[in-house]
Amino acid sequence: MIRGAFLSLLAFAPAVEDSVKPLRFVACPVYRDTDNGRKSGCWLTSDPATGVRYDVTAAPTKPDWNHAILVEGKLSADATDHCGGRVLEPVRVSVLEGACTRHLLPAEGYKGRRFALPERNVRPLYQARKQQQKPFVEGRFTIPFDYRSSFISYQISDYYLDATINYALDVQPAVIEIAGTAQTRPAMVSGVRLAEDAALARSRAEVVRKALILRGIPAQRVRIVERLPGPFVAAAFDGLNSPVDRRVDIRIRPE
Amino acid sequence: MLARGLLAAAATVFVGAVGVAQIRQEPDRWWNPGEGRIFPATLDYQNENGTLRLLLDGGPLKTEGHPFFTASGPNGRACVTCHQPADAMSLSAESARRQWDRNGARDPLFAASDGSNCPSLPQAERASHSLLIDHGLIRIARHWPPRDLGGKPIKPDFRIDVVRDPSTCNTDPRYGLTSATPMLSVFRRPRPVANFKYIEAMGFAYDPKAGMPLQVDPETGKPVSGNLMADGRVPTLAAQMRDAASAHLGFLKQMDAQDIARILDFERRLYVAQQQDRTGGAVDADGAIGGPRTLQVSQPGRLGSDGGAPVWSEFEAWEKVPEATKAKWSPEVRKFRESVARGARVFREKTFLISDTAGINSPIGFGNPVRNSCVFCHNMSYMGMDVAPGQVDLGTTNQPFADPAPHLPLFRVTCLGKPHPHYGRTILTSDPGYALTTGRCADVGRITLQTMRGLSARAPYFSNGSARDLRGVIDYYERRYTIGYSEQEKQDLVNLMRAL
Repeated sequence: MIRGAFLSLLAFAPAVEDSVKPLRFVACPVYRDTDNGRKSGCWLTSDPATGVRYDVTAAPTKPDWNHAILVEGKLSADATDHCGGRVLEPVRVSVLEGACTRHLLPAEGYKGRRFALPERNVRPLYQARKQQQKPFVEGRFTIPFDYRSSFISYQISDYYLDATINYALDVQPAVIEIAGTAQTRPAMVSGVRLAEDAALARSRAEVVRKALILRGIPAQRVRIVERLPGPFVAAAFDGLNSPVDRRVDIRIRPE
Repeated sequence: MLARGLLAAAATVFVGAVGVAQIRQEPDRWWNPGEGRIFPATLDYQNENGTLRLLLDGGPLKTEGHPFFTASGPNGRACVTCHQPADAMSLSAESARRQWDRNGARDPLFAASDGSNCPSLPQAERASHSLLIDHGLIRIARHWPPRDLGGKPIKPDFRIDVVRDPSTCNTDPRYGLTSATPMLSVFRRPRPVANFKYIEAMGFAYDPKAGMPLQVDPETGKPVSGNLMADGRVPTLAAQMRDAASAHLGFLKQMDAQDIARILDFERRLYVAQQQDRTGGAVDADGAIGGPRTLQVSQPGRLGSDGGAPVWSEFEAWEKVPEATKAKWSPEVRKFRESVARGARVFREKTFLISDTAGINSPIGFGNPVRNSCVFCHNMSYMGMDVAPGQVDLGTTNQPFADPAPHLPLFRVTCLGKPHPHYGRTILTSDPGYALTTGRCADVGRITLQTMRGLSARAPYFSNGSARDLRGVIDYYERRYTIGYSEQEKQDLVNLMRAL
């Protein structure tokens, strides 16, 4: 199973097809309290440029109703409206510092979606893990990040980090190179200038390095490099282009 | 009043080493250091709600000379002083009161260092120990600024000022924040030292609340559970012992490796839970599997929603037994058992909006708010600990959520960098919790989840004792998250918790 998951991670770029025009905007979120069991509430937000209300519930990391969000996503092929907005999927949400007035909508007849465990979840330690078998090959991994964040988010970044760490643990000894990337090129989005600090690339790489060491990889085998040649793991972005510059790439070379 | 009378009149059932029950001339409920009693394989204590049971794997333990039960420092305390068997290996406020009434300041429990509101107060006076006697709170002194595990100072991203200091210790010239070695005093309940198979268990290799793999024990290089200390200041039981030995026991020298090993051996063999309810009878009767025996034989670290037994499904049988079986129960027994089983379902299934709670709504990515039930955090089968450990801010110590607590110190935290994700730049708190370990403003008020076993034996609840009884716990959650529990649901949850 682990090997299968690893192989799926190796869906290298460029695999991103822009068949649907991607959306990128900054707005305030609204929570719709659809009570369909745990984690069943809806997250809505309206693009200030068009006034169109979108459903961003499918984002791996959810909004905070006190803060503005950066939305990056595509319209879903599934037009079913469970929440009261046009569904964006795939979609990413980054919580920004800008303040928003919190607002809660009642369900108003919308059911929301019953929570189902996402595929990208770290498995418990008590579940047996199938280890990598020799001969070991070079492993390439990518960890995605939210805008202006170096936090390893639940059920997205941690999943890719866990795959990285498990591979590194299995193939030891190995040389591990880490390269962080930040979205430094400025862009005006919904009237807001967005650009990440260049130092964030290093911070992201340091977080991954620290995590590898914490899990038992010898520090001297983990090296932060300026950049890594070759492809990144596109699956971490679900076909979205704009979050691609916020990532850490890892190369694990067995010795 | 009635409860106190019951407690005073209650007989302690002392069960022998091979499990054969025999009523003896029972020793006092209170274990003094150095008594030399035998700690039996099964030990029962009456409390307001029934009987607490302690089970010791591997048979009885001679406590004479055992470092958990023997005072080695000048204040006359041993570990057992603040971790009493009758109090589920914690310390109830009731027991603290009784010891004061018996012995006053002479009792080692009231040692000046942390059994009083501040060591500089006149120690013979009751008022100097009011936080322990009236609220069950021990003084915890933390260095300011915080230090890492290697003792190196951490540069905090917030400033802290004392707003109110009824304990007098935070403004004390010797022990306070402006002393030569600045310290900050907060007041907390002692945590129970039992059921460590579960408390130390790791369900995942990560702490999602920190966004990092679990902390590593610097002594062994192995990851450790984050469910140990209220503020996560040390990662292991061995480190906790050393911390307690110097801070609470007044040891003049470090515990040696052999002492630590003996204490660890005892603590890790000990299981504690309520065994008998005064209304509902044995909690492992008629198909139910409550009580400490289940803890002793079950696997730790299992996520109740994914591979493990659903949390508190130990009582499912009481809902599902045939009507013919229920018909044999007295009306009182039936009412209680059905209530406990319903309480377990409410605990798992009643969802509500969790909002503005650091460690849940930030920074993990669950969203703010997120709809979930009690098992969102209390998710470990049999124990209700967090399989993905880490610290959460329920608001019990932070305004505006905390209940008024004029007896506690109040601090003003001013975030110097990014504001706190839920409170903004300024926070009023009686205990910054995890932030005293990390130095991060975002961690103010975050406190490690507590074990839910043996609750009937160790009131009051929450780290600062702000809930006087089990109903107080439910009422706090109801207020904090506007849950909308019915009166029946509240009673069912109380009955569930008293049976744990």
